[in-house]
Amino acid sequence: MTPPNASQTARAEWRIGRLLIAMTYTSVAILVIGVGLMVAAGISPLAGGPPFDPGDLVAELQERSPAGFLWLGLVVVIATPIARVIGAALTFGLHRQWIMVGIAIAILVVIAAGVAIALAATV
Amino acid sequence: MLGGGAAAGAFGSLLGLGGGILIVPLLTLGFGLSLPEAVGVSLVSVIMTSSAAAGVYLERHVANLRLGMTLELFTAMGALVGGSIAFVLDERLLSALFAGLLIYVAITMARAPAHDHGPEITTLEEDDVEDDEDATPTERALDRLSGEGYRVRNLGRGIVGSTGAGLASALFGIGGGIIKVPLMHLAMGVPLRVATATSNLMIGITAAASAVIYLVRGEIDPYVAGPTAIGVFVGATLGSRLSHRIDLRYLRLLFVVVLVYTAVQMLLRALR
Repeated sequence: MTPPNASQTARAEWRIGRLLIAMTYTSVAILVIGVGLMVAAGISPLAGGPPFDPGDLVAELQERSPAGFLWLGLVVVIATPIARVIGAALTFGLHRQWIMVGIAIAILVVIAAGVAIALAATV
Repeated sequence: MLGGGAAAGAFGSLLGLGGGILIVPLLTLGFGLSLPEAVGVSLVSVIMTSSAAAGVYLERHVANLRLGMTLELFTAMGALVGGSIAFVLDERLLSALFAGLLIYVAITMARAPAHDHGPEITTLEEDDVEDDEDATPTERALDRLSGEGYRVRNLGRGIVGSTGAGLASALFGIGGGIIKVPLMHLAMGVPLRVATATSNLMIGITAAASAVIYLVRGEIDPYVAGPTAIGVFVGATLGSRLSHRIDLRYLRLLFVVVLVYTAVQMLLRALR
């Protein structure tokens, strides 16, 4: 026996695979720019980088600050598997596979809970 | 840092492990970072390498997306707990636990046979289709999670093991493949190739669930994480291309020696 809707799952897997690869190479490219700017500015990796502040990100990118590109690259890295889960939830939703949609949403809720707990701990 | 990351990534890729098991000792013992800082950087590197590999596995339909997503719900829960308690635990205790993990991995690597054919896989027969209407909800769930030519079993063990893998990932900055692959292959009856691919898929969410906690808590340094992640990515890419040209028996032996040495250093750090 093959799993239900095997061809739909195969198509979904292909699309999600492309998304993962595209986001990974995008993050690598952004990080390479950040490291290049870091080297050009003579910054040591052990100098201690600035903290992550989403509000400053656009300004840092416009100033071509190494930290801006590094933070953007790191955020894309962390967002890649999360985007994969969102993509899977949408695809499973289109194919009315509600159990898998529920699992995907539960994963996103757990991640959101992690952010909320961390934010509460830093306040 | 680029070179160290590349070496860790290449080593991990050649031996079927993520680079995380070597990045944390590299950054703590080699560059003097605190354990939480090193774990945060390691998690980012692990996500990067696993995402690229998981993308290829999904395109080729090797990974089992349904099974991976079901189990990663529990690895994410374990990672949430681990990421939350990592900052409460004493760093010396974490170092000692990490040393224990290194010893476990070293023993596992040393005992691994040259060619592991794995357990007998439960294959699907025509009778399974006929009996489908009488199947219990658990059996139907297992059917949905099964892949072409094999039937998943022992979901309960999978859930418990996945939660533990997520906890270990968040505490030690590892992908947790060393736990997930044997769990899926030996306990759940998933073929080794599918288990490896599905583990790679799960590593991304497992590590992301705790990486967001480390990010929000300010434990990820962009100047360290950027070069290390690129190094690990390049090393892992090279490693996967070199794997068929290198005698893995000697490499495995060298890896065991490196792990034992690193474990001793982590223990000494714990005792200081």
